[in-house]
Amino acid sequence: MPGALSWGIIIFLVFLSIWHPIICAVLIIIFDFYWIIRTIYLTTLLVMAHKKLSQEKNIDWLKRCQDLPSKKSWYDIYHLVIFPVYKEGLDVLRPSLEALRQSYYPKERMIVVISFEERNGQAKDNAAALEEEFQGVFLGYLSVFHPDGLPGENRTKGANATWAAKKAREFLGSRGIKYEQVIVSCFDADTCVDEQYFGCLSYYFLTSPKPHQASYQPIPVYNNNIWHAPSFARLVEISASFCQMIESMRIEKFVTFSSHSMSFKTLVDIDYWPVNMISDDSVVYWKAFLFYKGNYRVIPLYITVSMDVAYASNFFKTVMLQYRQKRRWAWGVENFPFLVEGFLHSKGISFIHKLRRSFNLLESHVTWAVWAFIIMVITPLPILLGGSFFSQMPIGYNLPRITGMLLNFTLGSSLIWLFLSRAILPPRPKEVKWFKNVIMFLEWAIVPLIILILGSLPALDAQTRLMLARYMKFQPTDKSRTRGS
Amino acid sequence: MRLRREYLLLLRKRGSISAEQRIRVLLFFLSVTIFLTGLPIILSFALGYKFDRRTLKFTKTGLIVFRTQPAGANVYLNRQLLDIKTPVTLTELLPGNYNIMLVLDEYYPWINDVRVDANRVTRLEKIILFPLRPDVKQLNRYNFSSFWVDEAKEDIYYIGFEENSIYSSDLHGQHYRRLANFTGLTTKPLGWKVSPDRNKFLYFNTNQIGFSYFVLSADMDKRRPSFIINYPLGKIIDVFWHSDSYHIIIVGENDIEAMEARPHSRPVFLTNRNKKSGAVSYDISTDTLYFIDSQEASDGNTYDNLYKLELNSRNFLSMLDKNNLR
Repeated sequence: MPGALSWGIIIFLVFLSIWHPIICAVLIIIFDFYWIIRTIYLTTLLVMAHKKLSQEKNIDWLKRCQDLPSKKSWYDIYHLVIFPVYKEGLDVLRPSLEALRQSYYPKERMIVVISFEERNGQAKDNAAALEEEFQGVFLGYLSVFHPDGLPGENRTKGANATWAAKKAREFLGSRGIKYEQVIVSCFDADTCVDEQYFGCLSYYFLTSPKPHQASYQPIPVYNNNIWHAPSFARLVEISASFCQMIESMRIEKFVTFSSHSMSFKTLVDIDYWPVNMISDDSVVYWKAFLFYKGNYRVIPLYITVSMDVAYASNFFKTVMLQYRQKRRWAWGVENFPFLVEGFLHSKGISFIHKLRRSFNLLESHVTWAVWAFIIMVITPLPILLGGSFFSQMPIGYNLPRITGMLLNFTLGSSLIWLFLSRAILPPRPKEVKWFKNVIMFLEWAIVPLIILILGSLPALDAQTRLMLARYMKFQPTDKSRTRGS
Repeated sequence: MRLRREYLLLLRKRGSISAEQRIRVLLFFLSVTIFLTGLPIILSFALGYKFDRRTLKFTKTGLIVFRTQPAGANVYLNRQLLDIKTPVTLTELLPGNYNIMLVLDEYYPWINDVRVDANRVTRLEKIILFPLRPDVKQLNRYNFSSFWVDEAKEDIYYIGFEENSIYSSDLHGQHYRRLANFTGLTTKPLGWKVSPDRNKFLYFNTNQIGFSYFVLSADMDKRRPSFIINYPLGKIIDVFWHSDSYHIIIVGENDIEAMEARPHSRPVFLTNRNKKSGAVSYDISTDTLYFIDSQEASDGNTYDNLYKLELNSRNFLSMLDKNNLR
């Protein structure tokens, strides 16, 4: 349905620009005006989220936990951290584990599971090397190997993470640790947590009402190699971080994305992550949402987890890499049929609530797929295809001026994005020249090109594949630090 | 408002409603309000409607687009100076006739009555304002009889039949130089043409064709001598260079012939002509001669027809060969 809707909108507007260019122009102006209002609204939310991130940046969260009333003891909490790994090597995994070791939280309350794919030949060697370094640092350090081809499974990150969670469950059982005491964090292999992350997570877990009925979502930033990444890859990832910051302000629509945390009890109750779907990070939220009959939410944590900007050895490979990564993200559209089917079998959620959540999900994916097309491809069509009659009408004359004026106004908000992007950047490494600052400033000029190529196109591609039942296979983004630094 | 209340209640039910969320809800409804109030204004402007405060109704309007060369002219609408300069668009004009005057110092004003129709754009985008004192500049330095502007090479050729000299300059009169002296004909030439390779030129009267090669003034001694070919058989109407810069096409009163541009060359007959004064045109890009000739039809009447004679290299050479053999 999302694919049909997106294509329907695009094709409808193309034909309308030929047959009824005036109606098409009116629709374009309505959409453009809606888009500028939306951009201003969302940019304001971004500024608010950024302010909150700045405010909470320097908080000593562990101390806050310690200051909590005694009945809510932070020390009863165990943190289970799962890293599903496929091809990532030691150059990626070691900094992630090092960040855990450096985190400002008692290590005897942390259990780390590195879950390798058994089909990866390097897995055993990497596991042995990391065990040598990190065994004994945490309460538990497990290296597990996810067998290939288990019944009902596809080759997805969720299947690997589920295998790791089941192994961790055995570990917890052997230590007599209750699931209610455990918060599980499922991180991408390149995720480096902020040193206050677990303190912040514990605080929100302990202070939130019904903490088991919530996921906890940090702000993902892509700072690990951002100074070495090519301009457009950097811009795409900064935009992704900003989108997450904006979403964190829209809590009624907020869904887990990438690295996230949740109650282990809830994870067991909902039968772990999906083992046959690509967008495991968001589907796990919907599984919990359906399990708790709509009484499940995502609590934003205004603390960052840092990951890698995906890029390759040359420009075109990087474009393809980014395109595939964004297409995989856009494959989250598979949540829609999953959710609708879930709603059909769920009786405890009101019809209005079902309708609203379904609409939000559908609208966000359809908008993702069509907005850049409408603004950059459809907008000039009435002028190009409308003929002399259209050009003699006031709207034919005014359309490019109004849309140009509106979009220039939108570009103004890009300046705010630019300045905020500077604020979330890590310090410039010594080996990077100061001139890179200038490039990072100028690179925002290529935003219009990026939004079409790496914005709408991958989303439309993903929706079309889902519509035609050409299901995607999980293609992990190649992450290796050696090419960048 | 009911929706907002429900939404706030929902947030309260979930246990927390932070200051940020309150601001966000306010922002959301502010955005919706701006959208709903701003959209009719933008759409009415886009569609060419104007809100009439007196009648409280939307009225259809039209607009005029002005673009002048040069830009920057003051605009008078019905004799009233507007605070704008061209290029400009006058919007929200009620249908009717408007007196428009575009005024720029040192240029003739452009004055016209322009009709504005409802829901229509009147485009006046090709207005040229002519200068009061046109910028006229002398290019030649010596007497001359005729000139030819070579647009392709951006040169001007000047020929003086009194002094029998030919000069050239660029389009601004710079790089003025003598190209050749040539031998005069028995009577004043009817025409002259520079060869496509720009190395020589021909000049002709009714029964003589002269050729002269261009040489830089400093190299006058090295120039190849000019020569004249007599053409006593018929009256010459026109002569054209072939694109190879070696052959010429001679259109006479009675026939069309080709000839090599060298001393003692002999013309080769191509075709005859019944009509002595019909128009002739030569397309050098395809080496095709177009000419009018009269032919008698089966009904006994004589009609003028346009004919085409292709003289591109292959056809032309085989024709020359055949005719030479003959």
